[in-house]
Amino acid sequence: MISKQSVIVAKWEFLRFFKWKQQLISYLLMMAVMAAVALWSYFTDESRKVYRIAVPAEFSISNSEQFQFQRPTIDFEAQLAQLQADERWHAVVTVNTTDTAAHKVELHTLAAKKWQQQLETELSNYFRQQYATELQLTPAQLEMLQQPVSVEYTYLDENFKGKDTPEKMIALGVLILLFIGLSTAFGQVLLSITGEKQQRVTEQLYAIVTPQQWMDGKVLGHSLSAMKAMVTSALVMLLVFIVVSVVVRDDGINLSWLNWAVLAWLVPFALLGVLLSACFMGAIAASIDDPNTSGKGAVMMITWLPMLFTYLVIDSPTGSAMTILSWLPLTSFAAMPVKMAMVDLPWWQPALSLLLLVAAVGWMRRVAGRIFLRGMQMYGKEPSWGQIVGWALSNKTD
Amino acid sequence: MQLSVSTISKDYGDIAAVRKVSFQINSGDIFALLGPNGAGKSSIIRMLVGMTRPDSGTIQVSHQNEVYDHVPRRLLGYLPEDRGLYPDKSIEKNLLYLAQLHGLSKQKALQEMAHWLEVFDLSDRRDEELKQLSKGNQQKVQLIAAVLHQPALVILDEPFSGLDPINQEKVVGFLKALKSRGMTVILSAHQMAMVEKLADHMLLMARGSVILAGTLADIQQQAGPQRQIAISCTDAVEVEQLQQWLPGLTIEGLSANKFLLTLTAEQSVSATLKRLVNELELTQVEMQTADLHQLYLMAMAQHQQRDPA
Repeated sequence: MISKQSVIVAKWEFLRFFKWKQQLISYLLMMAVMAAVALWSYFTDESRKVYRIAVPAEFSISNSEQFQFQRPTIDFEAQLAQLQADERWHAVVTVNTTDTAAHKVELHTLAAKKWQQQLETELSNYFRQQYATELQLTPAQLEMLQQPVSVEYTYLDENFKGKDTPEKMIALGVLILLFIGLSTAFGQVLLSITGEKQQRVTEQLYAIVTPQQWMDGKVLGHSLSAMKAMVTSALVMLLVFIVVSVVVRDDGINLSWLNWAVLAWLVPFALLGVLLSACFMGAIAASIDDPNTSGKGAVMMITWLPMLFTYLVIDSPTGSAMTILSWLPLTSFAAMPVKMAMVDLPWWQPALSLLLLVAAVGWMRRVAGRIFLRGMQMYGKEPSWGQIVGWALSNKTD
Repeated sequence: MQLSVSTISKDYGDIAAVRKVSFQINSGDIFALLGPNGAGKSSIIRMLVGMTRPDSGTIQVSHQNEVYDHVPRRLLGYLPEDRGLYPDKSIEKNLLYLAQLHGLSKQKALQEMAHWLEVFDLSDRRDEELKQLSKGNQQKVQLIAAVLHQPALVILDEPFSGLDPINQEKVVGFLKALKSRGMTVILSAHQMAMVEKLADHMLLMARGSVILAGTLADIQQQAGPQRQIAISCTDAVEVEQLQQWLPGLTIEGLSANKFLLTLTAEQSVSATLKRLVNELELTQVEMQTADLHQLYLMAMAQHQQRDPA
C-alpha cells in the first residue's frame, strides 16, 4: 500500500515540474500557432482564386471553377506582353504540333505557383479525352482505362478488424502517447533523483521516510506527470482532428471511429506501463552518482523498446510476435492495447495480461527501493552492474 | 528518551571506521562527538540514523516505556554532514514539505516554522528561494528543518561548520533552546569552545576508537592532573631561554613577556616558581586549568605517540 508519506512525496514531485502559469501559456501558444497555421492556409489558398488561361483557338477545353480558358485573337507575342504586364492572363498555353507522336504543350507563366499543378491535371485530362475521341473510345472504355486495379482483402480471421482501419490509427496513437509519456517520465525521474543527490537532500530525506516510501512517491509523482503529458497530447491530437475536420475539410465533428472500449482498457495499461517504466528509471537513476559522468542514464531509454517492438509488428496483430509482446509484462502495456485496437479479444486476455503487469510493477517497485537504499549506502561510489543485479535479485530491504 | 550504544564496530572494506565504541545518553542531554576528520564520528551518526548497520554491537533506545533496537524515524531530527535542500523552492515550501513528511499538520508546521524563523531572524525572508540566501542562512534553515517536528533525539553533524562567530553563538543558543524543550541532542563538531559551553557529555575519538569520554570534568581528570601557570614578567625573554631554565615543561609564548607553562604530574609548581623568581621579575602569576581545546590537542598528541599508524 502507498503510505501517506509517499503521497506527500508524489505531490511534491508532481508540482515540482508542473507550473500552472507556464502550462497555461504553453496551451495558449499552441492554440495561437494552430490558429496562425489555419489563417495562413486560408489566405494563401490558391485554389479559391480564378485564373485566366489563354489557349489556342482550336482548344475545346471547358471552363472549371478555378480556370477560365479563353481563345484570344491577338498573336502570341502580344499575349506574352499582356502576361508580363499582368493585365489579362495568368498563363498562356501553346501546343507544338510538329511532333506527331504526342502533343508538346508549353505553359508560359511569370513564375512557378501551386495552382499550375492543377492546371497541368486539367490539360492532361483534356488531351486524354482528345486521344480517346481520336481512337474512337467510348466514355465507358476511357473510364475503365483510367481506373486503377482495386484489390480487396478478405480476412478469414473474424476477430481481425482490418489493416488500414481507424483502429490502426488508434493503435498508432496509443504508441505515440506512450512514447510521449515515457519521454516525460525519463527526463523528470533522472533530473529529480540525481538532482536531489547532487543537492544533498537525499540523506536528510532518508532520516524521515524509508527508501521504499521515497521511491514510491517519486515513481507515483512522475507517473502522474507522464499521464498528464499523455492526456494533454491526446487532447491536442483530438483538437487538431476537430479543427481539420471542421475548418479545412468542412465535414463537421464525427468521432464515431473512436473505440471507447479500447480506450477504457488503455487507461489502466498505460498507467501501469508508465509506473513500471518509472520504477525501472528510478532504479537506474538511484544508482547514478553524478549524471555528468555516468553512462547509466542512457539505459533508461530501454523503456522505449516496448513501443518500438510493437510498432515493428503492428501490421501482424495476430502474429506470434505480437502475442508474445502482449503477454510479456515488460512489453504488454504497449502491445496489448494496440492488439486490442486491431483484433477482437475475449475479455480474460487483457484482464490476465493486466494482472501480470500489476505483479511486474510490484516487483519492480521493490527492486527500485532496494537499489536506492544500497546505492545511497555507497557514499559517492557508483555501483557496478553486477552489484545492481545482485541487489535487484536479493530480498534484503535494509 | 535514553540511548545506549554498546561496543559497536563498523568496517568499510579493510578500514575499521568504528572500533567497539560504547556510550550512553540520557534524556535532555547534549552529547558531543569529537575527533579529527576520519575519527569515525559520521560513521557512528549514520549507524544511529539507520543508514548503515553496525557489524557488531547494539544500539538500544528507550522511549516512553518502549524499547527499540534502532532509532525510530519519528523520534529523530537529523542534520547530515552532506546537506542541502531544494534551492529553487522558498524557505517556507522547503520547511513545510519536510514537516509534512514528518507527519505535522500544515497549521502546526507553520506555527513551529514561525517560531524558529524568528529565532534565526529569517521571518521576513520565508518566501525567498533558498538559493538567494547566504550559506550561513541556508544552514539555519537546515537546522530548523531538523527540529520542526520536535523530535525526541536531534542528531547534528557539524552544526557549526560554515558559520561566522556570531551565527555560531546563535546556534549555541538554538541548541540550548532544544535542551530546554527536553530534546536530546547529539552533535559532532571541531569547535571546542562551542562544545565546552554546551555539552553535558562528550566522546573524544581517533581512528575509530574512544580516547576520552564523559563530562568536561571527567575528561580533565582522565587527561591527567595537567596544570598550567600563566606568567607575566617586566622584561622580554625568549621561550628558548625559559626552556633552558625549566627543562621538560611545555611553554607557549603568548607575547614577549607573557607565557603559558604546562606542567605534568611529576613537575612541581613550587620548584618551577622558585626558579622563575630567581631569573625574572614576575608581575603576575595565575594558575589555570586546561580547556577542552588544549585537552583535545594533548590527547590527540598522546594517542599519536601510542598508535603512530
